[in-house]
Amino acid sequence: MVKNLKNANKFWRVGEPMVWMSAASLAVTLLIAAVLLIVIMVNGLGVFWPSELHQLQLKDGSQVIGQLMQAEPTADHSGIRRQYKIANRDMYGLDFRWIDETQIVAETIPEQVLVLERIEHGDFYGELQALKHADKLQPATLDELNAALTAVATDLEQLGELEKKLKDASYKMEQLRLKELKLNYKKVAKTDLQWAELSNTKQELNTEFAGLIDVQTRQTNKLREDTAVFTDANGTEKEIVLADIVQVYAPNQMSVSDKAVFYAKKLGELFVGEPRESNTEGGLFPAIFGTVMLIFVMSLFSFPLGVIAAIYLREYAKEGLVVRIVRIAVNNLAGIPSIVYGIFGLGFFIYGIGHTIDSLFFPERMPTPTFGTGGLLWASLTLALLTVPVVIVSTEEALGAIPREMREGSYALGSTKFQTLVRILLPMASPGIMTGLILAMARAAGEVAPLMITGVVKLAPALPIDGNFPFFHLDRKFMHLGFHIYDIGFQSPNVEAAKPMVFVTTLLLVLIVLIMSSVAIRLRNKMKKRYTFGTF
Amino acid sequence: MNPAFQKKVKRNDRIARWVITIGGMAIIFSVIFILILITKVSLPLFLSPDKTLHASFQLDRTRNGEKVLALGVDEYLETGYTINQEGQVNFFNVSDGSAIDTLRLSSDSGSQRLISAQTYGRLNHMLVWDDGSVTIEQVKFFPFFDEQNGNQRSIRHRIEHAAVFASPADGLPVKTLARANDDGRQVRADLYRSGEFRVTIAEEEESLFGAGERVEETHLLELATAGQITAMTMSTDGMRLFAGTDSGEILRWDLADIDRPVLLEKTQAFSDQREITSLSMVFGDVSLIVGDSLGGVSTWFPVRDAGNNWTLTKIHQLTGHSQAVKQVSATPHDKSVVSFADDGLQLSHMTSERFLVGITLPGQQLVGYALSTRGNAVITLTDQGTLSCWKLDIPHPEISLKTLFGKVWYEGYPEPTWAWQSSAGSDDYEPKLSLTPLIFGTLKGTFYAMFFAVPLAIFGAIYTSQFARPKFKGIVKPAVEVMAAIPTVIIGFLAALWLAPLIERSLGAMFLSLILVPTALMVSIAIWQAARKIEPLKRVERGYEFLAVAPVVVMAVAIAAVSGPGLENWLFDGNLKQWLFDEMGTRYDPRNCIIIAFAMGFAVIPIIFTIAEDSLSNVPPSLKAASLAMGASRWQTVWRVILPSASPGIFAGTMIGFGRAVGETMIVLMATGNTAIMDLSIFNGMRPLSANIAVEIPEAPVDGSLYRTLFLSAVILFVMTFVVNTVAEIVRQRLRAKYGRF
Repeated sequence: MVKNLKNANKFWRVGEPMVWMSAASLAVTLLIAAVLLIVIMVNGLGVFWPSELHQLQLKDGSQVIGQLMQAEPTADHSGIRRQYKIANRDMYGLDFRWIDETQIVAETIPEQVLVLERIEHGDFYGELQALKHADKLQPATLDELNAALTAVATDLEQLGELEKKLKDASYKMEQLRLKELKLNYKKVAKTDLQWAELSNTKQELNTEFAGLIDVQTRQTNKLREDTAVFTDANGTEKEIVLADIVQVYAPNQMSVSDKAVFYAKKLGELFVGEPRESNTEGGLFPAIFGTVMLIFVMSLFSFPLGVIAAIYLREYAKEGLVVRIVRIAVNNLAGIPSIVYGIFGLGFFIYGIGHTIDSLFFPERMPTPTFGTGGLLWASLTLALLTVPVVIVSTEEALGAIPREMREGSYALGSTKFQTLVRILLPMASPGIMTGLILAMARAAGEVAPLMITGVVKLAPALPIDGNFPFFHLDRKFMHLGFHIYDIGFQSPNVEAAKPMVFVTTLLLVLIVLIMSSVAIRLRNKMKKRYTFGTF
Repeated sequence: MNPAFQKKVKRNDRIARWVITIGGMAIIFSVIFILILITKVSLPLFLSPDKTLHASFQLDRTRNGEKVLALGVDEYLETGYTINQEGQVNFFNVSDGSAIDTLRLSSDSGSQRLISAQTYGRLNHMLVWDDGSVTIEQVKFFPFFDEQNGNQRSIRHRIEHAAVFASPADGLPVKTLARANDDGRQVRADLYRSGEFRVTIAEEEESLFGAGERVEETHLLELATAGQITAMTMSTDGMRLFAGTDSGEILRWDLADIDRPVLLEKTQAFSDQREITSLSMVFGDVSLIVGDSLGGVSTWFPVRDAGNNWTLTKIHQLTGHSQAVKQVSATPHDKSVVSFADDGLQLSHMTSERFLVGITLPGQQLVGYALSTRGNAVITLTDQGTLSCWKLDIPHPEISLKTLFGKVWYEGYPEPTWAWQSSAGSDDYEPKLSLTPLIFGTLKGTFYAMFFAVPLAIFGAIYTSQFARPKFKGIVKPAVEVMAAIPTVIIGFLAALWLAPLIERSLGAMFLSLILVPTALMVSIAIWQAARKIEPLKRVERGYEFLAVAPVVVMAVAIAAVSGPGLENWLFDGNLKQWLFDEMGTRYDPRNCIIIAFAMGFAVIPIIFTIAEDSLSNVPPSLKAASLAMGASRWQTVWRVILPSASPGIFAGTMIGFGRAVGETMIVLMATGNTAIMDLSIFNGMRPLSANIAVEIPEAPVDGSLYRTLFLSAVILFVMTFVVNTVAEIVRQRLRAKYGRF
C-alpha cells in the first residue's frame, strides 16, 4: 500500500503525464486549425463541381429534380431526411427543400436534365422543350440551344459595348454637371462664353445619349424576343429569354474530364466575372481588384514610413529612454484594436482632412461630399497606419541581425553612414524588409473592421481605375474580399443560397493570406539562418 | 578624393539623417495623436453647457398692453412674439425689438379678452378667454427663399387655429386646461371655485354608416382628496390627466374612455405634505414633472409594484430652487425640464439629472419665458418689461458620467438599470447610452476566450519548445505563425455560420466531448505508461507525443459525437436546451460564449503561443542542462527551472493576447448576437464595445451624442489595450535585456 502511494507520488513528480497533456494541447490547437482549413476546403472547393441531378418520385405523385446537399436524422429520429437544392426560385420560391426518405418512391438520374445559370433568380433545373424564334416554336436539342446562345452572346457583346459608351456619356454628363455647379458657385455671369460652351456640349451629349439609349432599347427588345421553352420536374412549362441565360450544361451527361474543364472555366470566371444576384453568384473581380488596389495604395504609404522609422530606431537613434519609449509606442500601435484605427480614420481622415479638402477644392459640390466620405484613399491610409508597426518590427529585426562587422568594415573604408545604409545594410536586410511588407499586405487583405467605416461597400458602381481622367479615382468607394464575406454571409436576403459563394470567397482569401504569410515567414527564417551563425 | 564629391556625400548624409529622424519621431507622435484625436472628439460630451446673452431690450408697452400672457421665438432667433390680454400677437425682431407686425386673435364666441395662456409642445398656445371658451393656437415659422432677390432667406410666420372649446355651461371656472390631438379628440378640464372638477371630452365617433359624428361628454371627476387642487396637467393627446394638491397629493386619471374617466390613483407624493405648485409632462408624455412649494423639481412616472398596481414613483430629483416653484415645463425637443421660481429660471435634463443652465436677472423678477423649438435659445421677460434672448449651447444634455457608467432609471423601466439602446423609431425617445453593458460584454467575451486559449497556447508552447523534436519545431512554429494570419472575418464567419449551428444541434455531444477528451487522454496515458516498459517502445515516444495523442483526441470527439444524442435523449429528454431553460433558467442563444470562446480563442492562441514559445526557447540551454544533470525529470526541469525563467515572457504573451481579444471586432460582430445584456451565463451572447462601434458608427450623426459616445468607447478600448500592451512591452524589454536576444 505504502509502496503504491510512493509510486504514485513519484509518478506525478516525474510528471510524464503533464508532458503528455502539453502534447495534447498542441495537438488540439493544430487539430482545430486543420479542421478550420478542411471545412473551408471541403465547402469551398466543391462549389463549382457540377454534381449529378436526381429525379425523385414522391408519394404524393409529384416529381422533384434536385441536387442532394446533405442528409440528417429527422427531428423524431425515426428516419433520414435529405436536403435537395431544387433551384427554380422564381417558380417555387425556395431554393432548397427537405424531403423525408419515406416520402421517396423512386429515384432516377435522368440524362436530359439541364442546369441553366441565369442572370436572375438563380439556377433553373429542367428539360429543354423548344426554341422560340420570331414567335415560332421549334423543338431543339442541347447543341442547338448552345448554338442559339452563342449567337445571342455575340449580340450581347455588342450591347455591352453600347453600354460602355453609355457609361462614358453619363460620366461626361456628370462632369458637365459639376462644371456647371462650379460656374454657378464662382458666379460667372450668364453672358460668359463658358456658359454657352457648356450648354452646347450639354446639348451634344444629350443628343448622343438619347441616340444611344434608343439604340440600346431597340437592340435589347430584339434580343429579348429569342426565348426557349423548358419544363420542370412536373412538366410545368417555363419560357426563358435566351439573353438571361449565362450558361447551360447537362451535368448527368458530363464525363469527369468534361466536369474538370467546366470546373476550370468556372474558376476562371470567378476571377474575371462581375458579381450577380446581390453578390451571391457570378465573379469576384471587383472585390479582388478593390483588395489589390487597397493593398497597393496602402503599401505606398506604410512601406517607406515603416522602413524609415525602423532605420531611425536601429541606426540613428541613441539607445536610451527615448528609444525605449518609441519601441513601446510602436508595439502599442500594433496592439491598438483595428476598430479604433477605423474610428480614427473616420474622425481624422474623412471628417477632418477630407472635409477640409472638400471645402477648399470642391466647395461648389457641397453638401455632396467628394473626399469627405469614405473612399479608397482614406481606407488605405487607415490600413497603412495599422500595418506600419509590422513593417517597423520586421525591418528592425532584419537590421539588428546584420553583424556589426559589416558596418564597421564599411566605415573603415571611409563611407558615410548613409552610404553604409544604402549600399550595405539595406541590401542585406532586404529579405527582412520584404517579410514585413508581405506580412503587412496579408494583414491588409484580411482586415475588415476599419474598412467598414472608411469606405468599403457592398457593390461599387465603378472601379477605382478606369479610362476617364484622372484614371486613378482614390475618392471612390471600393469592394473588398473580406467585407464581401461578411456582407454575403450576413446581410444577404437568402443566406442558404449565398453559402457556396461565401465559402468560395473565404477559400480564396485564406489561400491569398496563407500563401503570402508563409512566403514571408520562410523569408524571415532563411534570413535568420543566414546571419545567426556567421558572426563568430 | 574629389572634395566636391566628398561634400556631396556629406550633404546627402546630413539630409538623410534629418529625414530619417523626422520620420522616426513621426511614429511616436502618431500614437499620441491618435489618442488625442479620438479623445478630442469625445470630450465635448462633458463640457458644461453655455449661455450667452444674444439681445436684450425694453418691450414696447403701448404695443404690448398691460400684461403679456405668452411668449415665443423661432429657432433661427430672428422673430419673436408676445401674446397680450387683448388677444394680439405682436411679432418683433429678436435682435433689436423692432416691431414686425401684429395679428389679432379672437375666440369663436366673440370674446375679445384673454384671462390666461399656457404654452405647450411646439409653440402651441392654449388661450382661455374671458367667457370661459378656450382656443388652441399654433404659431408656425418657416424659412422662405426669395428667388427674385438672390435667394435671400427670410422667416415667415403664420398662426393656425388648432382647436376651439366652447365656454362651459356651469359658469366660469377658476382654472382651465385643454388639449386637442390630431384625431379630433378635444379634452378640457375645469376647476371651479366650489372645488368641483369637471372634464369635457369631445370625440369624432364612427357611426355604423361610416359617417363621423361628434360626441361630447362632461363628467364630474371624483376627487377623494383632502387637499385643494393647485396644479394640473394633461398629456398632449388628452388621454391622461394629472392633478396636484396643496397637501402634496398627485391624482391620476385615465380619460381614454369618453364615457367613463377613471381615477387611477391618488398618491401622497411628499411625506411632509408640501404643496404641489406646478405640473407638466416631459416631452414624450411619459414622465410627469412636479414642482413644489419648497423649490423641489422632480420627475415621476407610474411603476408597477409587487401587487401589479401602477403607482407614480419619484424617478429623478432635479436641481431645485430656493423658493417655491412657480412653473415647470418641458423642452419641446428632448427630455429636459425648465423650472421657474422667484430666484430665476433653470434648465435640467431628466435622464442625466444634470443642471444645465440657470438664468437670473439681478434686481428684476422674471415673469415669462419661452424656449425655441430646437432648444437653442430661450427668451425671458421681466416684471420691468425687459425682454432678453439667450443663446443656449447645450450639445449633450443627456450625457453624464452617471448615464454612461451608472444605473439609470429610464422611462418605462421597472427599476434603475444599465442599458444601451441608442436609437428608436420616434423622436420622443429617451436615449440609453450606458457603456457598462458594453464593457461588460467585452470583458466577458475576452474572459471566455482567454479561458480557452491560454492553457492551450502555453502548454502547446511548452511542448513545442521543450519536448518536441527540433524537426517538428521547425514545422509547428511557422505553422502557428501562419495561423495568426488567418483573417478574423473568416474565423467569425465560420463560427457564426458553421460552428454555431453545429454546436446548437449537438450541444450534448459537445459537453460529452469536454468530459471524454480528458478522460480518454488520461486512460491512454496510463495504458502507454504500462506499455512503454517494453524496450523498443521506449525509444519511439520521445518528441513524438503529440502525434500519438492526436488520434486519441479525434477518437474521443468522434465517440462523443456518436453517443451524444443518445445520452441527451436518456438524461435530458432529448432536448438539452429545453432542460437548461426549465431547470437552470438560462436561455440558450445560438450565438453564445461557447462559440466566442472557440472562435476568439482560436484567434489569440497563435499570438500567445508565438511569444511564449520565443521566451521559452530563449532560456539559456545551460540551465536546462544543469537541471537534467542533477537528475530532475524533463517535466520537473520545465516546471521548476524553465517556466520561472520564461514567465515574464509568457505573461507578456498573455497580456498581448488579452489586448487582441479585447479589440477583436469581426468575430464578435458576427458570432455574438450583439445583444447588450449583462448576464454571465455561457449560453448567452453579448455586445462588446468594438462590435458596437462597427454597428452604430455608420448611422451616428456627426458630432451628435451617439457619435461622441462611440468615440469615447474607442478611447476606452484604446486605454485598455494601451495599458496591457505597455505592461507587456516593458516586461519583454526587461526579458530581452536579461537574455540578450528578443
